[in-house]
Amino acid sequence: MSLSPLGASRSLAAVFTPIKSGGLVDEVCRRIELAVESGLLPSGQRLPNEVELSAALGVSAVTAREALSQLRGQGLIRTVRGRSGGSFVTENSFPSASIAREKLQGLTRLQISDLGLHLQAIAVTCAGVAARRSGPGDVEALEAYIRPGTADGETATPFAWRLCAAEFLLEIASVARSARLARELLHLQADLGTLTLLPFEDADFCESTAELSGAISAAIGNHDSSTAEERTRELITSTTSWLLAEHSRSQR
Amino acid sequence: MNGNDAAHAATGVGQLNALIGGLEDKLAAWAEATSSWLGTTGKVTGTGIDKFIRPAVAGFMSEENSLLAGAGFVAAAGLLGEERSYIAWWQGADMERVDALANFSPQSTSRYVKAEWFKVPMATGQPHVTGPYIDLLCTDEYVLTFTHPIFRDGEPAGVVGLDVTAQAMERAALGILRQIGPYAVLVNAGGRSVVSASAEVDAGDVATLAQGAAEFPVGRQFSIYSATA
Repeated sequence: MSLSPLGASRSLAAVFTPIKSGGLVDEVCRRIELAVESGLLPSGQRLPNEVELSAALGVSAVTAREALSQLRGQGLIRTVRGRSGGSFVTENSFPSASIAREKLQGLTRLQISDLGLHLQAIAVTCAGVAARRSGPGDVEALEAYIRPGTADGETATPFAWRLCAAEFLLEIASVARSARLARELLHLQADLGTLTLLPFEDADFCESTAELSGAISAAIGNHDSSTAEERTRELITSTTSWLLAEHSRSQR
Repeated sequence: MNGNDAAHAATGVGQLNALIGGLEDKLAAWAEATSSWLGTTGKVTGTGIDKFIRPAVAGFMSEENSLLAGAGFVAAAGLLGEERSYIAWWQGADMERVDALANFSPQSTSRYVKAEWFKVPMATGQPHVTGPYIDLLCTDEYVLTFTHPIFRDGEPAGVVGLDVTAQAMERAALGILRQIGPYAVLVNAGGRSVVSASAEVDAGDVATLAQGAAEFPVGRQFSIYSATA
């Protein structure tokens, strides 16, 4: 067997990683979880039945049935028998702070700070390119996600703040017009999951996020790449720092 | 520009016009067919829409040298039921169904009504090209979306549309652009570069027409800049 002088590339290892079975069921579950998490399927909403679900997602009925049963096990949906029956999104399916807190405790400091670094690398690059490429209408689109919209006199929920912040970052990637960076952001946000809900329970954190987002949006509009990058770095660092501090607090 | 170069440029502009105009014509014909199908259909159902739209999409996708990443139909609220939208959209060679869960969501309408590719043709009654933009709803790619309104009883009832990635457009158009000139750039109505032959301009950059350079309109909304500043 001959190897090149440098040996096989480390990236080849991924090619030979075993493909996990059950991947499809998990994928269907992930899609539905995402739909619930993003508010697309609200509490009490009837889910498509096995046949409809399998047709809609292009999987077999067996896969759809297994996915529904897995979601039932997680408590995300409940099933009612009878003529008006079906599967419904449960009342408490909203990503709750207690679940997020549990998840945070399950992570190491190392995982949190590394995830933060990865997110920072992507978001800061997006912001720099966005400032170079921004055009008419782009700032308006960014400004829509500086703070969540609320009815008069109501305060926005942490859930709404989190959605808004996630959309703001995606909008920066859109203004940068990079499909790869946008996809990378989507993956990172999925990895972070409900964790990012926690800092938004803190009103001061919400306000400083809105302030930084406003500054980023203005810098992008002014074609000021270095300020856009600097403020975006602060924005991501503030999330990571908050999560690390919370991690320490609750382990004391 | 000598006579020979000018002739090359004119041929190139004609070819790009045929490429982009061809997509626009295809979409217009499909919109008309969809409108007349709606006119002869009583109660419109999701299954009925799928049955009519899917074979057309499958046909487009399997055409040789198809530029399409995906295609489909999005119903306006009211066509299937009050406050209910419906999306019948497929992408890729293996006809992956897009955003299917949205059809079960009561919030489905709000996902589309604000999107330029839906809003503009519905409001103007005219075909429209959106982008290039990062499409996070379907392809997760940098795309152009061509949409055309369809009508029922004279009222806009939804849109049919085609997605073309900027990447597919570059494969089809770059050689032709080079014929027009080494600095030629295909731009959208806002001057945003879609495909560029120039090393100075990347797809996604805003291009400015160089002084003394020529601008040739292509299709309904695009232009070619022969050189950029």
